[in-house]
Amino acid sequence: MTIQILPARLANQIAAGEVVERPASVIKELVENSLDAGATTIDIEIEKGGSKLIRIRDNGAGIAKDELTLALSRHATSKVSSFDDLENITSLGFRGEALASISSVSRLKLTSKPAQQTEAWQAYAEGRDMQVSIIPAAHPQGTTIEVVDLFFNTPARRKFLRTEKTEFYHIDELIKRIALSRFDVQFTLKHNGKTVRHLRPAQTNKEQDRRIGQICSKGFLDSVVRLDCDYDGVSLTGWVALPQGCRSQNDVQYSYVNGRMMRDKLINHAIRQAYGQQLNSTQYPTYVLFLTVSPRQIDVNVHPAKHEVRFHQARLIHDFIVQALEKAINPENVLEYGIDQNDPLANSAAGLTNEPPAQGALYPGQQGAFNGAAVESVQSIQQSSPDYASQNQPQSQQQNTVQEQASAYQPQGGYQGKQPGAQQLKSYHQALASFSAPLQQQIISPQSEHVQNTTDNGIKKGKSGCLSVINGHFALYQSDNSVFLLDLDKVNGKVAASQYSKGLVGQPLLLPVKMVLDKSTLLWLQQQSELLNQLGINFECLAKAVVIRKVPSIIRNRNISDSLSQLFAWLQSHGQDSPIALTECIQWLFSVLGEAGDYDLLAAMQLIATCLQQCEEQQLLDFCGVRVCLDSYIAQLANLDGSTSE
Amino acid sequence: MLRPAPPQSKAQLLERSQAIAGLNLAELATRFEIPMPQNLKREKGWVGQLIEFVLGADAGSKPVPDFVDLKIELKTLPISQTGDPLETTFVCVAPLTGITGVHWHNSHFRNKIRQVLWVPILAERQIPLAERVVGTPFLWQLEGEHEQLLKQDWEELMDLIVLGDVTAITAKTGQYLQLRPKAAHSRIMTKAFDLQGNPIKSQPKGFYLKKDFTRMVLAQAFS
Repeated sequence: MTIQILPARLANQIAAGEVVERPASVIKELVENSLDAGATTIDIEIEKGGSKLIRIRDNGAGIAKDELTLALSRHATSKVSSFDDLENITSLGFRGEALASISSVSRLKLTSKPAQQTEAWQAYAEGRDMQVSIIPAAHPQGTTIEVVDLFFNTPARRKFLRTEKTEFYHIDELIKRIALSRFDVQFTLKHNGKTVRHLRPAQTNKEQDRRIGQICSKGFLDSVVRLDCDYDGVSLTGWVALPQGCRSQNDVQYSYVNGRMMRDKLINHAIRQAYGQQLNSTQYPTYVLFLTVSPRQIDVNVHPAKHEVRFHQARLIHDFIVQALEKAINPENVLEYGIDQNDPLANSAAGLTNEPPAQGALYPGQQGAFNGAAVESVQSIQQSSPDYASQNQPQSQQQNTVQEQASAYQPQGGYQGKQPGAQQLKSYHQALASFSAPLQQQIISPQSEHVQNTTDNGIKKGKSGCLSVINGHFALYQSDNSVFLLDLDKVNGKVAASQYSKGLVGQPLLLPVKMVLDKSTLLWLQQQSELLNQLGINFECLAKAVVIRKVPSIIRNRNISDSLSQLFAWLQSHGQDSPIALTECIQWLFSVLGEAGDYDLLAAMQLIATCLQQCEEQQLLDFCGVRVCLDSYIAQLANLDGSTSE
Repeated sequence: MLRPAPPQSKAQLLERSQAIAGLNLAELATRFEIPMPQNLKREKGWVGQLIEFVLGADAGSKPVPDFVDLKIELKTLPISQTGDPLETTFVCVAPLTGITGVHWHNSHFRNKIRQVLWVPILAERQIPLAERVVGTPFLWQLEGEHEQLLKQDWEELMDLIVLGDVTAITAKTGQYLQLRPKAAHSRIMTKAFDLQGNPIKSQPKGFYLKKDFTRMVLAQAFS
């Protein structure tokens, strides 16, 4: 026998042997294509367990006419184009052989219409060399793929097909797996003309729970913990059953890596380990888990069907999963449904992995390495140091619960008690609240001196920047060697005032708001109509009430009558002597009603940066901040040294 | 009080409609000296008629837009406290016979809702009629994506009617537009055709905009 190049169809048939095992594998490849094309609705129609007909219709991007021929040839794909892409795969497919393989063992028709094309075209391949023919067709935006008579030309493969019912069971199982990975997509599955599944898009927690119930049985939701852990770019979310809720079949075990369904040994191992002795011999771990890591950290090009994945830092991932799950299914932590992502303990749990973190991400002291979630509050700063210390401890400590570790090492952070306490914070808060205009300069409390008094000699060029956010309202800001406490709400007001110097635009309310007011207020309102219009407030006075028809967007999503009463009260008290300037009103609106706290570090840094584009740093500090006098703390530290040396 | 004259221009109509935003139905009825029923059991269309009267709609029951000269249709839209539509919106009766050659551009349906003045009304069931509040009315044009969506549904439904599949149409057919029986009671019948083309009797049907559609319209106007 001489050596020769194989005909295209035969080569594809050989490749199909790996990928196309049974009808369900065809559907897997095709549905993943639809998802990669950005479809939000996917309809799957099956006849006779998929051996007669598989039809998948989506509303995705579609394939342009010129590319239809290519789409059916082997090693043609739009998903990767260079070797670099292969290291950073974000789509589900990438090998570029699914369509060609399927088309070589069935009669496949591909109909597609992209949005920018006015008509649809249908492509099909036939013959020994798989020549592709293209004919015009009717189709809405998106793609339909019809696979008829699967394995008609490979009798050997056909023998392996099980009964219609079994094949459909595999298909249904597959759709369940895919549907769990994409809550935002609507799926319908029909078998022999009957709708078997109809899964609506699920955005809210409640809708997601409903989909979970539809897929994993209702009982699953009864004893389940919702998980949400995040550490250094790796996140684990999903639902995990408590030991008592674990099923006696292994049918609800869904794990995903970057949205790709997996049957990965490492992940299964980690999950089983987390349950430890808590499962009896007839129980199986029961979970729906989503692991998200940077695509650069994994290699999915391991198995043609991509059931397995290689992690670059396998052990780190394994330990992360074990610890996150152990914490979640520990009965002490199940009081509330779910674990708060911002919970400092959850963050520190992640910080206890065996290997030190790649970068000092939990190290808020270093500029530039800030991690918004990790540095939420003073509390997390306090913990960061002990956490780091714990990483150098013997690993036998691992068995302890997270809380114990965290508390055990706290005393090592020597400055612990010297941070501003809650009471001191409160006094700073009062200090900030009590000066409302930049001109009223006064020393307010012994602990906080006004900026103006301390920086008269001028600021030397030095390091400055936002250090941390406290209570969501205040920022610790370092300028040279001084530390300031900034009121972020005031900064926001200042930024808005220069941004909207021409006034605010009113937006109509679907339901106008009626406020009952007394006669004098109504009269006063009518006098103020010009100013209020500039603020975007449009109203009409009735006999005993005022109807508000337009408000600026900052008010629109809040309680409108409360916000407006606040505004009116402020205007009345401040505008008695002299008319109030528009900018002053806007400043007030944004500082009082603005973000209403809840700044994280990133938002605070952005806000301060924006403000510094508009004014000098000195002006910002004068207007929105007080200096935190560190002298007394430094003195206390000195005393501390004395006592320990004795 | 005399019936207000029909508005002369779009601007005048808009101004008039903005002036009633935020009033409740009792205030509105008093202002225009219209007797107010206790409830809507006997006068189902009273709210619509009140708004028509107040804004000076002049079409009456004729098959033309409510504001004849401006070619603007008036639609009241019951909404909940959160601004969600509470009911589907009737557009027009669906013709079951005599529709050969009708296409989207000359359809009665499209003509009917090409330009609509939507008047949202806070009308949750537990709120007494007098205390229901008029929302902010807004003008809306059937165009772009909205038109495309309705056109698709309309064509699908009309295909079913023409090809004799009237009986197969349920309220679930159509994404944004549905066909539902529209008659005082179920014994009223009208002419239609079956699958083989034989004439049959069927319930009269009407085109209704689904809540998903009006929700989009509201979202676009108040985003």
